[in-house]
Amino acid sequence: MAELLLDSDIRIWVFLPIVVITFLFGIIRHYVTILLSSEKKSELEQVKDSHALMRSRILRENGKYIPEKAFHVRKIFFNDEKKGYFKTEKRETIAKNPMTDPTMMTDMLKGNVVNVLPMIVIGGWINWAFSGFLTTKVPFPLTLRFKPMLQRGIELVSLDASWVSSASWYFLNVFGLRSMYTLILGADNAADQTKVMQDQMSGAGMMAPPDPSKAFKAEWEALEICQHDWALKGVEEDLTEKIIPPETIYLENKFT
Amino acid sequence: METLNYACVITIENLVHFRRELLLSTMSNTRWEDARDQLRKIREEQIRDGLLVVQLWEDTLCDHIHKLGDEMWVVQEQVAIAALDCSRLDIADECREKLNANFPHSNRVKRLEGMVHEAAGEYEEALKLYSEILKDDPTYTLARKRQIAIYKGQNNIEKAIEMLNDYLKTFMTDFDAWMELCDLYLCKQEYSKACFCMEELIMSNPQNHLFHQKYAEIKYTQGGIENMESARAYFGQAAKLNPNSMRAHLGLLLSSIALSKKDPNNSKYAAWAAQQITDKYQTQETKEQIKETKVLESIQNMLAMLTSGN
Repeated sequence: MAELLLDSDIRIWVFLPIVVITFLFGIIRHYVTILLSSEKKSELEQVKDSHALMRSRILRENGKYIPEKAFHVRKIFFNDEKKGYFKTEKRETIAKNPMTDPTMMTDMLKGNVVNVLPMIVIGGWINWAFSGFLTTKVPFPLTLRFKPMLQRGIELVSLDASWVSSASWYFLNVFGLRSMYTLILGADNAADQTKVMQDQMSGAGMMAPPDPSKAFKAEWEALEICQHDWALKGVEEDLTEKIIPPETIYLENKFT
Repeated sequence: METLNYACVITIENLVHFRRELLLSTMSNTRWEDARDQLRKIREEQIRDGLLVVQLWEDTLCDHIHKLGDEMWVVQEQVAIAALDCSRLDIADECREKLNANFPHSNRVKRLEGMVHEAAGEYEEALKLYSEILKDDPTYTLARKRQIAIYKGQNNIEKAIEMLNDYLKTFMTDFDAWMELCDLYLCKQEYSKACFCMEELIMSNPQNHLFHQKYAEIKYTQGGIENMESARAYFGQAAKLNPNSMRAHLGLLLSSIALSKKDPNNSKYAAWAAQQITDKYQTQETKEQIKETKVLESIQNMLAMLTSGN
């Protein structure tokens, strides 16, 4: 097959503009996101719940370091049938409905305005303005399977698969400029579009808020079966003898 | 937890910093980049050294503030708080005004304003500001802590304890707050309540020998056989976690001696602790020093009494 020769005007008027447009667009998105982002205020109740759960977890893990009485006092504080924290603190399951909650509505709208809308507009515009060009060639041979990926917009059966079309070049830039943004804008930038797309695909972006009453129930169960086993038993013997007499560790507490 | 009565500056602290001031004055033409890096380090490691920060600010950084970019605001907040520590209200007010002009509705700046009021001794205004912040954002812990600090500064310990308890009902895993509550209870000599706070701290970090040691000390102070036994155990744990801790070994010795009537094993522990302490003195001190040290002598006396008593 004869060697293809690209017009050097394509480099100046198609290849480079696409890079510049995608890049600048990412930077603009970063600043617009910062501009539009609303500070998320946490509810006092939520903070309280998470602290209580954390404290109970610490009690389960490290409760062996405090005297038995102190451990049971705390266990009763959380787990008592009538007055226990996990029994009395009733939280209504707040099933957040995005249609009724105005703040969530605006958040979703902002997300769409910043992420999805420009993607469609810019992508469409690039498709319209630069479609039908071959822009560059990857310097290695590729199999035919890469053709739909690298040559979007150009349906030529006989064309070598290592040529890249303008629309595909745009997509390569969208995904490939991530490390450039990290370099320029710092690690936590909003310019990167791929993260948003991953979120949307895995459904993590719209995860339901955790239900405190379920978490309370799970923690109540875990704490209920947690027994106190004092870690400091025989610590003086341990220190002075360096050998622990077997009766203190093996026989006690074994079958009682 | 930062608790301070800014109105009074402790003179001992001034003395400690006197040398550093001398040192700094000899190298007062530091470059502003160095000053910035130093401030950054102080911020990251949460070192509380007001005089140094103010010095760096006055000597070098305040003429180059516009070069800092966005970091300028953090630095100004840092300098303002440091200035309050050294009761340089002029600097603090200047920084606060700049911050206020740039972030007019920020709670963080409002809190700074409250702290300036505190430093000037105008507690009422400060309290008013803090309750305004809390009305806007009830999860803003720093404002609540400032309120408690005001009561502590006014020596109104009961009120401070009450507020702190209220705070801990919501923020149960704020261990610095538990530590503060423990100290407040100790001020009021409410040992069993202080013990409760220490238990929380021990659970938060069971590897920290200082928590075990403090717990044991409180138990030892409370007295009684049961408390003494747990004091002995926790001194033992502290000594195990940090074999170089003299305080824990001495505590183990004293609590074992106090319990020696009950269980013969205790004299063994006492002897062991005494041995450890003597070893340490002998390796650390010269012979002349040991002659002057009365501690070893008194330990020998204690042990002798113990053996003759049995």
